[in-house]
Amino acid sequence: MIRFNLNGRWIEDNKIDPNCTILKYLRTTMMQPDVKEGCAAGDCGACTLMLGEMTERGIEYRTLNACIALMANVHERYLLTPSGIGRAGQLHPAQQALVDCHGSQCGFCTPGFVMSLANLYQQTGQYAQQSALSDEQIHAALSGNLCRCTGYRPIIEAAHKMADFPACDLTAVSSRSGVQVFNPQGEKPVEGSPAALQDIDGRRLFMPLTEEQLKALLRDYPDACLWAGGTDVGLEITQRFKQFDTIICLNRISTLARTQMLDKQLWLGAGVTYSQAEHELADLFPSFAQLLHRIGSRQIRNMGTLGGNIANASPIGDTPPAFLALNATLEIDGNHGRREVAIDDFYLGYKQTMLQPGEYLRAIRINKLQSSESLTLHKISKRYDDDISAVMFALYLDVQNGIIQKARLACGGVAATPLRAQKTEQALVGQPFSENTFLQAANFIGQDYQPLSDVRASKEYRLQVTRNLLLKSYLELTAGQTGDAA
Amino acid sequence: MSHVSSKVTPWEARRQRPAKGKSGSKLAHESAEKHVLGTATYIDDMPELAGTLFAAVGKSTIAHGKILSLDLTAVRNAPGVVDVITLDDIPGEKDIGPVFKGDPIFADGVVEFHGQALFAVLAESFEQAKRATLLAEVSYEEQPALLTIKDALQQNAFVRPAHSMQKGDAASAIAAAPIQMSGELYVKGQEHFYLEGQISYALPAEDGGIKLYCSSQHPTEVQKLVAEVLDLPINHVQVEVRRMGGGFGGKETQAAQWGCIASVFARRQNRPVKMRLDRQDDMVLTGKRHDFYNRYQLGIDENGKILGADIELAGFCGYSPDLSDAIVDRAMFHVDNAYDLNNARVIGHRCKTNTVSNTAYRGFGGPQGMIFAEAMLDDIARKVGKDPLDVRKANFYRDGGSTHYGQPVEDFFLPELVEQLEQDSDYRGRRAAISEFNRANRWKKRGLALTPIRFGISFTIQFLNQAGALVHIYTDGSIHLNHGGTEMGQGLFTKVAQVVAHEFDLDIDMIQASATATDKVPNTSPTAASSGSDLNGKAAQNACQILKSRLVQFAQQHYQVNASDVRFINNHVVIGADENSAQWISFADFVTLAYQNRVSLSTTGYYATPKIHYNRDTASGRPFFYFAFGACCAEVEIDTLTGEYKVLRADILHDAGRSLNPAIDIGQIEGAFIQGMGWLTTEELLWDDKGRLQSNSAATYKIPTSVDMPEHFNVQLFDRANAEDTIYNSKAVGEPPFMHGIAVWCALRDAVASVADYKISPPLDTPATPERVLNAVMYCLQESKA
Repeated sequence: MIRFNLNGRWIEDNKIDPNCTILKYLRTTMMQPDVKEGCAAGDCGACTLMLGEMTERGIEYRTLNACIALMANVHERYLLTPSGIGRAGQLHPAQQALVDCHGSQCGFCTPGFVMSLANLYQQTGQYAQQSALSDEQIHAALSGNLCRCTGYRPIIEAAHKMADFPACDLTAVSSRSGVQVFNPQGEKPVEGSPAALQDIDGRRLFMPLTEEQLKALLRDYPDACLWAGGTDVGLEITQRFKQFDTIICLNRISTLARTQMLDKQLWLGAGVTYSQAEHELADLFPSFAQLLHRIGSRQIRNMGTLGGNIANASPIGDTPPAFLALNATLEIDGNHGRREVAIDDFYLGYKQTMLQPGEYLRAIRINKLQSSESLTLHKISKRYDDDISAVMFALYLDVQNGIIQKARLACGGVAATPLRAQKTEQALVGQPFSENTFLQAANFIGQDYQPLSDVRASKEYRLQVTRNLLLKSYLELTAGQTGDAA
Repeated sequence: MSHVSSKVTPWEARRQRPAKGKSGSKLAHESAEKHVLGTATYIDDMPELAGTLFAAVGKSTIAHGKILSLDLTAVRNAPGVVDVITLDDIPGEKDIGPVFKGDPIFADGVVEFHGQALFAVLAESFEQAKRATLLAEVSYEEQPALLTIKDALQQNAFVRPAHSMQKGDAASAIAAAPIQMSGELYVKGQEHFYLEGQISYALPAEDGGIKLYCSSQHPTEVQKLVAEVLDLPINHVQVEVRRMGGGFGGKETQAAQWGCIASVFARRQNRPVKMRLDRQDDMVLTGKRHDFYNRYQLGIDENGKILGADIELAGFCGYSPDLSDAIVDRAMFHVDNAYDLNNARVIGHRCKTNTVSNTAYRGFGGPQGMIFAEAMLDDIARKVGKDPLDVRKANFYRDGGSTHYGQPVEDFFLPELVEQLEQDSDYRGRRAAISEFNRANRWKKRGLALTPIRFGISFTIQFLNQAGALVHIYTDGSIHLNHGGTEMGQGLFTKVAQVVAHEFDLDIDMIQASATATDKVPNTSPTAASSGSDLNGKAAQNACQILKSRLVQFAQQHYQVNASDVRFINNHVVIGADENSAQWISFADFVTLAYQNRVSLSTTGYYATPKIHYNRDTASGRPFFYFAFGACCAEVEIDTLTGEYKVLRADILHDAGRSLNPAIDIGQIEGAFIQGMGWLTTEELLWDDKGRLQSNSAATYKIPTSVDMPEHFNVQLFDRANAEDTIYNSKAVGEPPFMHGIAVWCALRDAVASVADYKISPPLDTPATPERVLNAVMYCLQESKA
């Protein structure tokens, strides 16, 4: 049984196929066309919705792409759609501002923009006029919403004007039925395999709450599809029309979704979302947090997880090069017991990792940086926001007394896996920290990487820009010292 | 009257103030509130009738070759499948080419591009239909595929014969000029990326007919093609379009195929059929903006004045003509942009390739011609060592001149507009600041460009320049408006409703526009060529004028007054010459009275654009009723280590004549600029060596996001009445501002040229991705060393 609150009304349904996306369910079963399909791949944002979760602070919302998120995601949660947050003659401030600023033309993307703006309004307390929004906040909130008509200018204007309208707190909409307020502690987790949340025609959906339950399920269903954020695997359903028999959703296992500050290390649960990590890494790894702003879109970052990005083993994932440069340790758990591996050893080949059936990635550990250490990250793509990297460049350096003591350079997009550039690293280590060292080391990039040409870039550009990024990294690290802006 | 709708403001209140929403007011889009609530209904949102089935097409897996066998057994046996059709199952005409033949509804024995539709499946669900399409067993005899313009030129493969235009003697002028120069530019095409993909919903009707809901800019053509495909008289088919979720030219001809397939299935099964392309199918199966490979030879003087130009344009048409003849023509018409070429020869090739048939896209070839004009002017400026803006100004047309196709240059106030933008944007001051910035920064460089637009308005196919409207007045004073134009977000319904409100001096909320429908206004032209408001606004005005003259005539008799004593003011009809003693009758009461006196309150209206003519045999005439002008000043910053860049500022001054709705027009200009910028920066179409489209999803084809908008973005209207008699002297605004994006490309080139002290005009094919910008930087560095 999936049970969720749609625009203030509780709905229970035990006939939902585990593969059913939120978008499909709303548009077909609920006959609710205020949620649009633009790309069915999490790239355009026309299907953006607000998903609310009861916490000790009340209902907290985030946006998601309904097209690639499963109905499992809404279980015991609150969903808001454009027709739920306003009605004719009584629009939500995000809606009224869009009307007043001429923020819609063809109108097809508009419901998605409405929800991204309404979520921004809600999250930043605009109803209490807490603070004026910055352009950066607005762009981040809209990073996953494509509009082909307006050129965005009136939509940005609308975002700035939302606070001018009578206040609207959406938690009141979600809870307006007044009954059946969900208890966030939920039922006590059972021991062993939990029952399937849905079981339709031999297709099953499980939502374990603990790692113990997950291990039990992995014993019973070693070939199950492990669904964390689903931002990549969701495309199997919506683009390749695949149907999974067994889906195990990982995103209710609280031990996977937390971060811990250890003495010299940061422990990141594999289920930590990019959005969470943007906050958690901001102080210790500011360059990493900056990079996270450019991974996917706000909607994707709200769902996608660090563990998913690593275990997915895509050569163009953005965080693996950073974790390689940071020499991260991975904790793997499952039915063969817990083990730890260096991320250097994790990738075996194209889309292949050390993970065995019945195993899952539990956590990532990275060492905090000392004052002599630095992490420089560069993402190169055709478009600034919400694009896949042509090259993802990650350089860790330890420089003491003007000499490079340690160097780890890892890139994505240049080989079949995220890969260290060991010859280049060797050319850096032991050398003076100078422009010349970096220019010389750049000559080795071609020995470390033999990239391919594809839709994102040519092999020649990939090599050239990787070489240049070495120099650019040096210039950035020395900005203000040489008089050169990088 | 028994009941007055609560939506209708009391007439007494309407009398006390000017009517709301007339022409010239900044009215919101008529559907704005529905857009934000998600209640604006697109075809996929309509409640599905019981028994609705879903169609999908099976696609070829080669680019060119004979189909040896097509075994669809597994497709037919797949779960949920109800019907499968191939070309043999089309009851009537099998070729749906819009102007010229060549577009079989399914591949006709030979595959002409990778992904071409081979057959269609009908199933109980969309997913079942999609899955079934993958089960076909097809064997081919593969043939070599033409995949590039250069291949086609080499092998003389064309979908239509070349066309040329001439003025004076280009060859002699170039030979005699003090300086000769040549250059080339490859301009890639563009995916429309309308947010609502192609969709049709076909309902079987009586007498073997079809009622088709289709997301199309050209319902009349869809109606005609569905009738032909089903072997029916046209009057058995009705096509209706309430709104599209974007069109941009991509739904001018390309919507018909899916409407036809849905209709064939609907007839065969006697059930409602929905055919929706998912995003990937949409990107693979439908045509795009044409790539162009352009070359020039110029003769110039030492000041950079063009004395002669020999220009060759070659368009990437794909496998069939579609609209390519007119598109390449428009590129040729616009290769002068705002500049007098003095002596010119312009030739345009229509290259045939084994790729999807390219089609209309905002600007319709014009942008690909105009960017080449701007590329030439920049090259000239570098050659003679002058600021590009000065070279541009020196080459502007003057009133009294004529184009390379013989159209006289009239009312050419572009130099004045450019002058104003130059001042407003502080072009000279910023040029100096940029020079300083570039001297001070080793790796970051800035660039600036101010480029003009002169875009011809009218369909170059003369007969398309006509429109019809239908206006009913009901007895409560509410008005029903219908016209042949389609709403795709551009605000056409709003603007035409404003025309009607304006004519009767009524509040806009008394006007209700209904879905474009072939049984209301017949034989319509596509909503294209920026013509929507010009044509349909005038047709609606004509209908209003007919009704007004009937009403005035009635009032004359009824009240025994002169015609000049009957006026429409503030939602009322005022009878009598004297302000004080005149009788004010609410519009509702007045039309009720007219109705009771048996006056017809319904009429059609019609409009045909005057003055235009073009003789294609002599390549001369006046293809355009008038020109729309504008200019954009853009500033960028590039990173010479990575090729990444940012658009720092854009100032636009644009001529929409006397705007019907400044808010909507500014929205068109802003949106067009960003779309044009996207075309030239991040949006890159790519086919592999097998002819497979690589940029086939939103993940691989990147249209601009909000953060790509210039940090400073100013758009102003250049408020001047159109000298021609257009609707309230406004000007068309759909396509012209698209070309403002060219300023960004020129600014990027300017920034790159700075690394070689502006002595080299950097090669920068489009789109100018970071990769191409970096390559251009490296070229300049190498060349300046050499």
